[in-house]
Amino acid sequence: MISRRLRGDLVAWAFVAPALLLYVVFVLRPTLEMFQLALHDWNGISAIREWVGLDNFEKLTGDKVFWKALWNNAVWLVLVVGFNVLVGLVTAAMLASRIRGRVAFQLAYFLPVVQAAIVVAMIWRWVYNPAGLLNGVLEAIGLGGLSHAWLGDRATALPALALATGWAGFGLAVVIFLAGMQGIDRTLYDAAAIDGANARQSFRHVTIPGLRNVITVVILLEIISAFQAFDVIWGTTGGGPLNSTEMLATFMFRRGIQEGQYGYGSAIAVVFMVIVLAFAVISIVLREREHE
Amino acid sequence: MSRGDRPPDRTRGAGAGSAGGRRVGPSRLPVYLALGALAVFSVGPLLVTWITAFKTSRQIVRDPFGLPDPFTLDNLSRAWTVGHFSIYFWNSVFISIAAVLGMVTVSSLAGYALGRMRFRGERLLLLLFLVGLTIPITAIIIPLYLTMRDFHLLDTQWSVIVAHIAIGVPIFTFIMRGFFKGLPRELDDAARVDGCGELRVFWSVMLPLARPGVLTVALLEFLWSWNSLLLPLVFLTRDQLRTLPVGLLFLQGRTSVEWGSMSAGVMIIALPIVLLFVLFQRNFTQGLIGGSVKG
Repeated sequence: MISRRLRGDLVAWAFVAPALLLYVVFVLRPTLEMFQLALHDWNGISAIREWVGLDNFEKLTGDKVFWKALWNNAVWLVLVVGFNVLVGLVTAAMLASRIRGRVAFQLAYFLPVVQAAIVVAMIWRWVYNPAGLLNGVLEAIGLGGLSHAWLGDRATALPALALATGWAGFGLAVVIFLAGMQGIDRTLYDAAAIDGANARQSFRHVTIPGLRNVITVVILLEIISAFQAFDVIWGTTGGGPLNSTEMLATFMFRRGIQEGQYGYGSAIAVVFMVIVLAFAVISIVLREREHE
Repeated sequence: MSRGDRPPDRTRGAGAGSAGGRRVGPSRLPVYLALGALAVFSVGPLLVTWITAFKTSRQIVRDPFGLPDPFTLDNLSRAWTVGHFSIYFWNSVFISIAAVLGMVTVSSLAGYALGRMRFRGERLLLLLFLVGLTIPITAIIIPLYLTMRDFHLLDTQWSVIVAHIAIGVPIFTFIMRGFFKGLPRELDDAARVDGCGELRVFWSVMLPLARPGVLTVALLEFLWSWNSLLLPLVFLTRDQLRTLPVGLLFLQGRTSVEWGSMSAGVMIIALPIVLLFVLFQRNFTQGLIGGSVKG
């Protein structure tokens, strides 16, 4: 009997082994190594990694670009997550009503979601180009005075890229909210209608409360993915002009990969990771609680 | 007046006698206008870029919104040859297909064990993979780069393939586990009674039944590795090894105002994904919802 149980264990572990091996070698170990690297000064070439304790983190707190990147990331989160959640919710509510061509609308909103982020970057680089589409549209409708080098201006670059990211993201929120709305008891809407609620009121008092959990999950998800913004920034402004679109991910890439400051780059990565981890843990805890 | 917010009654066959349908009258007009405007916002930039790919550079400047006149394939052929997109395209195809094959194999084996077997260490493994769901690839790119260097995998396409599979292990194992868990117990018991070994039960009984799961994993892994920029950007420095997204990134550097070839590049990257998306729309949306929400 015991040998049979052992055999079962071995078979199961053999099934898991390839996945586990890849995961441990190429994800888990590098993650641990990142924390270790952050405590060293190392250019990646010399044989010696010099132990510097928390020096990298100290240097980080004195680095103006780091604080700028952190601040930009926070603004970015608010803009992107706000856009995706608000537009996603309202759109899903509209689609949930008796609409013809719902599938076609959904297809249209989801099409940007499957595009490569670098494609999003290139398309919007062109939209925002001084001789580009947005200025073209503005001129055509007689608002030529507003035309602008959207990505060349410190004031507009970040919100402009946030809109591009929202463009590529809100479709997923729409689909998730729509699925959530199917779980809301229809009789609640009928009751609201009998009480004389109009569309906006039943949205406010039936749909929103009914979706509370879904909304929380979507917000956290959007935060986690928005926080990792790299491709769209790197493919357009590269963090400029004057660091106005620098994010933690681009900052880390510049210092760590491009300049080969592996220790300093890893310290940035640790900060980055801790923040993502915090949001991820919150979302997992909330999800588990919901399941119970 | 509340019909504005009814939950959808046609999509998932929840159509418990949807009475009504009373008006598609003028009061719905603002809703259609809003939805239509949003659809233009979604599809417009993509469509304009695709149309631009067939225009001459003179027309692009003079008439950015018009239809191609004259219609030209110059941009596409220039991106394909001068822009090296022919090389990048096949590199992307190879890397993505290898990643899909590897991912499907590895995640279905692990998902099967975790979903249908009872064994010591099971909870530990689940916890380990749960941790993995929270590790963003961007954060570990530096140590991952060093790991690839230690394995002498840099500047080989295997670095990108292996990293894509490894980072996908947690999420896809959970997805496959979910599918295997949902299959009826009697099936594999019956096969085992018939004297089938565990690998045979997996291969000829369970895996065919989990086909929807395999399709989801394959589609998402293809999407993610096809679209990925960071890994090939960091791991591959030789031009002959580059993938489409990296090629597009460097195309802009070389020809900063050449919107024609850039649009062509965008089109070459997007076309296979859009085709797959149109064919497997449901699997994509459900998979992405599942992949993001359920975890």
